[in-house]
Amino acid sequence: MADYIAKTPCDGLLPQTIGSLTLTETAVDRMTSFMPWKGREKTASKALKAACGVAFPGPNETSASGDVQAIWTGRGQCFILGVELPDGLSAEGALTDQSDAWAVMSLRGDAAVDVLARLCPVDLRDAAFKPGDTVRTEMQHMMVSVTRMDDGFQIMVMRSFAKTAVHDLTETMKAIAARA
Amino acid sequence: MRIKCPLCGERDRREFYYQGAAIALNRPAPDAGDEAWNDYIHNRENPAGRTKDLWHHEAGCSAWLVVERNTVTHEIYGVELAEDVKRGSKNAD
Amino acid sequence: MRFSAWQVLKEGLTGNKGWTPHWRSPEPKAEYDIIIIGGGGHGLSTAYHLAAKYGGKRIAVLEKGYIGGGNVGRNTTIVRANYFLKGNSEFYSHSLKLWERMEKDLNYNAMHSQRGILNLFHSDGQRDAAARRGNMMINQGDDAILLDRQGVREIVPYLDYDNIRFPVYGALYHKRGGTARHDAVAWGYARGADQRGVDIIQNCEVTGIDIENGVVKGVQTSKGPIKAKKVGMVVAGRSSQVAAMAGMQVPIESTVLQAFVTEGLKPVLDNVVTFGMGHFYISQSDKGGLVFGGDIDMYASYAQRGNLPTTEHVVEAAMTLMPMIGKAKMLRSWGGIMDMSPDGSPVIDKTHVEGLYLNCGWNYGGFKAVPASGDCFAHLMAKDEPHPVAAKFRLDRFRTGQNILDEEGSGSQHNLH
Ligand SMILES: Cc1cc2nc3c(=O)[nH]c(=O)nc-3n(C[C@H](O)[C@H](O)[C@H](O)COP(=O)(O)OP(=O)(O)OC[C@H]3O[C@@H](n4cnc5c(N)ncnc54)[C@H](O)[C@@H]3O)c2cc1C
Ligand SMILES: [Zn+2]
Repeated sequence: MADYIAKTPCDGLLPQTIGSLTLTETAVDRMTSFMPWKGREKTASKALKAACGVAFPGPNETSASGDVQAIWTGRGQCFILGVELPDGLSAEGALTDQSDAWAVMSLRGDAAVDVLARLCPVDLRDAAFKPGDTVRTEMQHMMVSVTRMDDGFQIMVMRSFAKTAVHDLTETMKAIAARA
Repeated sequence: MRIKCPLCGERDRREFYYQGAAIALNRPAPDAGDEAWNDYIHNRENPAGRTKDLWHHEAGCSAWLVVERNTVTHEIYGVELAEDVKRGSKNAD
Repeated sequence: MRFSAWQVLKEGLTGNKGWTPHWRSPEPKAEYDIIIIGGGGHGLSTAYHLAAKYGGKRIAVLEKGYIGGGNVGRNTTIVRANYFLKGNSEFYSHSLKLWERMEKDLNYNAMHSQRGILNLFHSDGQRDAAARRGNMMINQGDDAILLDRQGVREIVPYLDYDNIRFPVYGALYHKRGGTARHDAVAWGYARGADQRGVDIIQNCEVTGIDIENGVVKGVQTSKGPIKAKKVGMVVAGRSSQVAAMAGMQVPIESTVLQAFVTEGLKPVLDNVVTFGMGHFYISQSDKGGLVFGGDIDMYASYAQRGNLPTTEHVVEAAMTLMPMIGKAKMLRSWGGIMDMSPDGSPVIDKTHVEGLYLNCGWNYGGFKAVPASGDCFAHLMAKDEPHPVAAKFRLDRFRTGQNILDEEGSGSQHNLH
């Protein structure tokens, strides 16, 4: 059997530093989507907490514990990053493996917010978007999940969009850097 | 135009997909007859003024929404999750 | 007054003092044989054809605003006969033939210009579809040429032929297609109708339709009640409101379609180019402005102005197809209210009320239909039977599912056209 070479979604594309802005890929080895069954939202959140230490986050929120991160990704859905979830959780909700299906990037630098302001139609400035906040929105015409970290933004797009996303982000970084 | 999604908050129109009149929530019985089905699928009140229609928060949370708005001024009066409207059997006409 | 080169010369030399209004402004009479509600292209053309072909009738056109203020004066003026389905193709073929003699018939310069239309395609599958459409057009008696990439290049060399997503493979070339001066078409039909005795009454909004025992008796208007034996509803984007006056719900959803024009430029574009994959089309007006448009704003609206996301989309498509357009400055944009039907095709039919007729559902393509729609609606109203080329534009096709005219093949449902 042939040996496949595992490549991360942004392999060969990142990291890039443009002016004082940096765009890097974040390696995430485990990512699972969790959608509680109808009517079991409360018990599902408890079970999730028992399994990996994070509660089911509310809309536009995240919850974290150590290296485990739960990001709200839509109505009745969150993604759990950084841990393998026990199968038993499926009694509380639908689990689907999303590992390798998403490109996860980090954008850092003082002007990072200006880059996203050109690409996403939501207010991501400090006053409106604090560390731990998250949104589902669009970046140009791509669906994205954007999360505020302490030192920048975590941006997730479906893996097949990786090259386009990196292109749009780096082109905008260049435009912003040129104005600095 | 900006729509205030009950889950995500106020968002740009670009994030939403428009489906049409909220009559889509009132599906007739399979044997209701062709007049009822024709009214459901094709005929529309299409008011110049207050209306309720269905939008999908496609690039956001993926929820279906019932948006009450004005077709002349584009003013938005209220937005509810279609699920709540349907389950609460609120009138969606 | 008859218009002629001689007249233009004479007036030019005598200070242009002899021109007279193109139509009268009469007060409404108490009663007419036929009332047409709506003084857009279709209403005026209907009145003209009624007067010209079925004489001896007292006819009025009631327009709530001014002539040319609706879609007839807001569209991007593309005139073509490249429809595919039986039911549509013979109608638009008839319409194009009427266009070709309109200026003579009306003694009016509508600046109808058969400059040719190129419908671009970008894949083998699309080429097949274009070839099939072209064959249908030729079978219908109209013209079509399948151009390869080189053929298109010779006509419009500056497109982005090697665009990564939409490389230009060729185009379906319809030489008899073209453009016209939109409001001149309204004015020409208004004048032609007026000369044949039709009363064109502006600033007269119809507010009610009088019906007794299932028979139409007249209308209520902002200028008082007017009696009529027959009434035709031809109000495009306002079809739902007027039909509601007769207790009808029609299969129409009203949406905004925008158009855009750049500052005047030297001639760069001799034809009409359509880029269906990007929902974009463009031509150059005689004044020099690049006139272009895209898709509808995609939600029910009567706002007569557009939303910026659609503008952005149209401009992106323009840059994709024709990067040089980035140098041009956009001057104006505007919107009109489209009467969108579920299958994208129109209705020219009787209603459940005797003497009340309906003409609607022109979507974003009713300008080219102005001559034939008027001819066929006049035929229906005068003779109480459909004109052969418009016989399939029935209102009950949605209920029965028979002869749905879904030209795009996307389904007979609102929001899909
Ligand atoms: C931006 C744009 C681009 C377009 N491009 C093209 C194109 O390239 N090619 C093409 O073929 N078509 C095109 N169209 C479509 C075309 O313009 C319309 O389908 C067509 O003009 C509609 O028919 P009309 O002319 O009778 O409508 P209108 O001119 O809108 O006439 C309807 C009239 O009814 C009147 N009315 C409404 N309610 C009442 C009432 N209660 N009482 C009295 N009067 C009333 C209105 O004031 C209006 O004047 C375009 C449309 C738009 C907006
Ligand atoms: Zn939402």
